[in-house]
Amino acid sequence: MLAAVVALVLVVLASLALGVRDINPAEVWRALTAPVAGFMDHDVVLEQRLPRTVVGLAAGVALGMAGTLIQGVTRNPIADPGLLGLNSGASLAVVCAVWLLGITSPIGYVWFAFLGAAVAAAIVFSVGRGQPVRLALVGAAVTALITPLITLVLLRDQQAFNLYRFWSVGSLTGRGLDTVTALWPFIVVGLVLAAGLAHRLNMLALGDDVATALGQRVGTTRVLAAIAIVLLAGTATSLAGPIALVGLVVPHTARRLVGTDYRWIMAIGALLGPVMLLSADVLGRLVLPRSELEAGVVAALLGAPVLVAVARGRNVVGA
Amino acid sequence: MSAPATATTVSTVAELRAVRRRRQTLVVSGMVLVVLVAGTVALLIGAAGLTPGQAIGGVLGLGDKGDVFVVQKLRLPRIEAAVVIGAAFGLAGALFQSTLRNPLASPDILGISTGASLGAVLGVLVLGLSGVALSGMAFTGAAVVALAIWLLAWRRGLHSIRFVLVGVGFAYLGSSLIAWALARAQEHEAAAVLTWTVGSISDVRGEQLTLVAVGTLVLSAAVAVVSRTQGPLALGDDNARALGVHVDAARVGTLLLAVALVALATSASGPIAFVALVAPAIARRLVNDGGAALVASAVTGAALTLVADVVAQHGLLGVAAPVGVVTGLVGAPYLLWLLATNEKRSR
Repeated sequence: MLAAVVALVLVVLASLALGVRDINPAEVWRALTAPVAGFMDHDVVLEQRLPRTVVGLAAGVALGMAGTLIQGVTRNPIADPGLLGLNSGASLAVVCAVWLLGITSPIGYVWFAFLGAAVAAAIVFSVGRGQPVRLALVGAAVTALITPLITLVLLRDQQAFNLYRFWSVGSLTGRGLDTVTALWPFIVVGLVLAAGLAHRLNMLALGDDVATALGQRVGTTRVLAAIAIVLLAGTATSLAGPIALVGLVVPHTARRLVGTDYRWIMAIGALLGPVMLLSADVLGRLVLPRSELEAGVVAALLGAPVLVAVARGRNVVGA
Repeated sequence: MSAPATATTVSTVAELRAVRRRRQTLVVSGMVLVVLVAGTVALLIGAAGLTPGQAIGGVLGLGDKGDVFVVQKLRLPRIEAAVVIGAAFGLAGALFQSTLRNPLASPDILGISTGASLGAVLGVLVLGLSGVALSGMAFTGAAVVALAIWLLAWRRGLHSIRFVLVGVGFAYLGSSLIAWALARAQEHEAAAVLTWTVGSISDVRGEQLTLVAVGTLVLSAAVAVVSRTQGPLALGDDNARALGVHVDAARVGTLLLAVALVALATSASGPIAFVALVAPAIARRLVNDGGAALVASAVTGAALTLVADVVAQHGLLGVAAPVGVVTGLVGAPYLLWLLATNEKRSR
């Protein structure tokens, strides 16, 4: 737990200090406490690095928690808002909002993101109940169904296309602090719901029958979890674009660290989500000399090997 | 067993085989008919409306110069491309599905298409390639990703579910890199990249078309050679081994051919979603002999792609779309249905 907190602090610091222009930590601290207007280092920290760090924190918490909830409620190691098609559902709804209604601000299209994620979740959960593998495949199928629809919208609407191609890559930049100030209540509601569900997920981990026998209404747990997942995934998608695999990696790592108690997994997951997303962002700034890789790309690069490793694991396939 | 009984058995088997062959011929010729009708429609409609007479003249190189140009340079290549590429996808899908014994196994799900589009996207944006060189990049991308998935999924033999999951992982890797490339691209390049991610046959002509057509023919001939092992393999590994088939070698050989077909087709057109998934499924259901239905799958793939292209090109969706949009909209619900019914059966 302490290690996770330390890791988060370090990553936040790195995110504020590192980049094309390296700024030493003392200067970062001065920029935050006593900024000097017009001083380049301070402007970079306050106007560029601080917003993207805050966006990364918010989106990271939301993604990590959404992934933890999905894996808990489906008892499925291969689940994540991206893998299950929730992010692409949100994307479709967002490009439709841009195309039909001309909405281009995250505060405006977050509702569409919720709607899209909810519809995708409804399809995926109703078709894919049962085996873990099938859930991931249904998610892939839903993504495959939604992708051509997105393409159709993009072919019709240049504005949507341009917004989409910068947004779909999953970047923490280009979002002001005002977006986070507008959207944080959704994340908080999602987190509170999730925290309240932790104990229920522990029982659910023993199987539906045992959970029912222990006095839990399994259906209620599922519905509440679904609401929290849609809130968290939809907000994260509005903030940072459809970022895949953070929600997959975080709960797995948390489980390695603290065992199977969901109260701990969630606490650690809420810290590890932003750690992963922000390290992806910082790494992306450092690997290319003049350009940068967006956080979503690096997150997928880091996450895909984990997905492959999980898929190779014996308990998934049973062979 | 007495002699007359054996004779009866022989004649019964012969009869069954004849029925089966007749059915297969019927399916194949039916699909060929669909291809011909859709091809005729594709020749006749379009911005320059042609009468049947003008179209025939154009095909033969007679008549008005403008008509000849429209038919020979614009419409015929597009039809040919749809047929060749569709057949390649259909055949490859049939090979994947029968070899991995999984109706879900298709290059879209296995990440191979992603590899091809990734190679192509990098070719356009990083190396500035076009034409045949670009196809080479796509081919390399598909082959490399296929190989990687294969190595990672191999663990005491090839387990198809693990194969699929590792493929999904690679699909995510690829699509995030494509998204990155898309965000870096200039506006006019970006449209080309978008086409590469969904699959379009509108620009396949000339040298490239010849390359794909010849390649597909050569690979099909090779498939014909290895297809003798498909029947025994369908009976399960142990039975196939008992029948004298070297199971792993046969499987590896067949999969290599299938990967080559997909890579070739994708390198020309981009990943046309789900043709490889849907065409063999339709063909198998129509032929219904428990076999892989390779020929029927190829012809069905051609028919499917051509019809989808006519629909996409002539704006039945409100905008002239790449063919992959239409096949995706048809194929993805089928995949969902497959997954939903699969569940009921396994309960």
